[in-house]
Amino acid sequence: MTEKKIGTKGQAFAQLSTQDKLRKVGDLLLNNAMYIIIILAVIYISIKVPAFLKLPSIVNVISLTAARLPIALGIGGCIVLTGTDISAGRVVGLTACISASLLTTTFKVFPEMTSAPPIFVVLLEILAVGAVVGLVNGFSVAKFKLHPFIVTLSTQLIVYGVILMYLKNGTNNGQTLSGLTDGYRSLVTGTLFSIGNVAVPKYVLYAIVLTAVMWIVWNKTTFGKNMFAVGSNEEAANVSGVNVSRTIILVFVLAGMMYAITGFLDSARIASANAATGFNYECDAIAACVIGGVSFVGGIGRISGIVVGVLLLQIIFAGLNFLSVDANMLYIIKGLIILIACAIDMRKYLVRK
Amino acid sequence: MSEEYGTNQEIQEAKEPDQNPQRQIRGLYDRVNISVRTLNLLIIVLSVLLVLCMGFGIAHRGYQVTFDSLGGTAVESQKRMYGETLEEPKPPAREGYAFDGWYCDENFTLSWNMQEDVITESITLYAKWKALQ
Repeated sequence: MTEKKIGTKGQAFAQLSTQDKLRKVGDLLLNNAMYIIIILAVIYISIKVPAFLKLPSIVNVISLTAARLPIALGIGGCIVLTGTDISAGRVVGLTACISASLLTTTFKVFPEMTSAPPIFVVLLEILAVGAVVGLVNGFSVAKFKLHPFIVTLSTQLIVYGVILMYLKNGTNNGQTLSGLTDGYRSLVTGTLFSIGNVAVPKYVLYAIVLTAVMWIVWNKTTFGKNMFAVGSNEEAANVSGVNVSRTIILVFVLAGMMYAITGFLDSARIASANAATGFNYECDAIAACVIGGVSFVGGIGRISGIVVGVLLLQIIFAGLNFLSVDANMLYIIKGLIILIACAIDMRKYLVRK
Repeated sequence: MSEEYGTNQEIQEAKEPDQNPQRQIRGLYDRVNISVRTLNLLIIVLSVLLVLCMGFGIAHRGYQVTFDSLGGTAVESQKRMYGETLEEPKPPAREGYAFDGWYCDENFTLSWNMQEDVITESITLYAKWKALQ
């Protein structure tokens, strides 16, 4: 069936005039410019540093992807609503600091505590924190019709202030939190299974579960369908009986909870948390979403696209890291990648019209 | 995966056609005024710039390791590739103090092992001092 389809496509292509053919090829090259550059870069890197294609490096890239997936899955929903969320990174930082301050053996933030609370209690707490920030974002966007950029910019700053004050608590005096409990660390970074000598950490499994959950939410629930309806045309969605405000608020709350999970995983993954944890994570997540075809036009996007976007970004950054390219240059490269992804996104939209 | 696409298309078909061409780009691109031709040029130029930046980064590759002697004599920085270990620098000197090793942070929680620890990013190492009696 598919072969036949490709066959007819090929025939149709053969019948086109030379000029049309050139245009088609040009379209293909331009629409996939980002992928082409990344694939070429990966080929170059793996020739220069053959260790890049070895198992430890591949597992490293997969683990990094897993660590950055939840935040991207959360932000994806906000982008589908033609919005964005720049408070994400700081929410990751706050939840990471809360987890690290409670699930520890030193209790610098709360000197009066003597033993760590159960892990699931802490998880529920930080989910609540994430949900509250999401609620503030979503409520302001839905009810006051504020642009998400403004709202999340202010919550970003507010959350950062809260992190700094939180870290001043007790005897900590703003220092990095470390000394996490073994139970917490092994729950997140423990070995899921080993390939040869290379251990795959447990958070890879959690990322897969979260991706599956979000896929179901986006594609199989009324809420997901409403989200796409609101994203592609708010007025039309309203007329057809969708509760627009509730949908927007829920998307932001869900996103907030995803950031909280990222924070929970990240503090155990890095084995410490401080005020800089989560800084700029939202940039990577937004870039990953746009590369993965979640359009700023609104109402367009797939979970599979987000996964591919995060993976591609991590591949290119792990590769440049292998080549010892300085972190300063990586910021410029990141910025350019976002610009190109946006330009391609717009182009696809304009050509379809 | 095709169902997702179907859902989007259904929604697009269900809504009334947008008559005003000014409103055709929505969302964050609300006020963008650009033609496909300009976009093509933009994508090409930006792609070239991206490749150039990567090339520049690769040409100047290497991670800078700076040593902050925190009051002691200056120690020369080193340039290292990914996965390499550091060359043991000449220990700094400071009057009234004895040098007590290099640390990754100013609070001296993580010490740096010159033989085993490998470089994965640009870092600064801090000297720890012990006051002499």
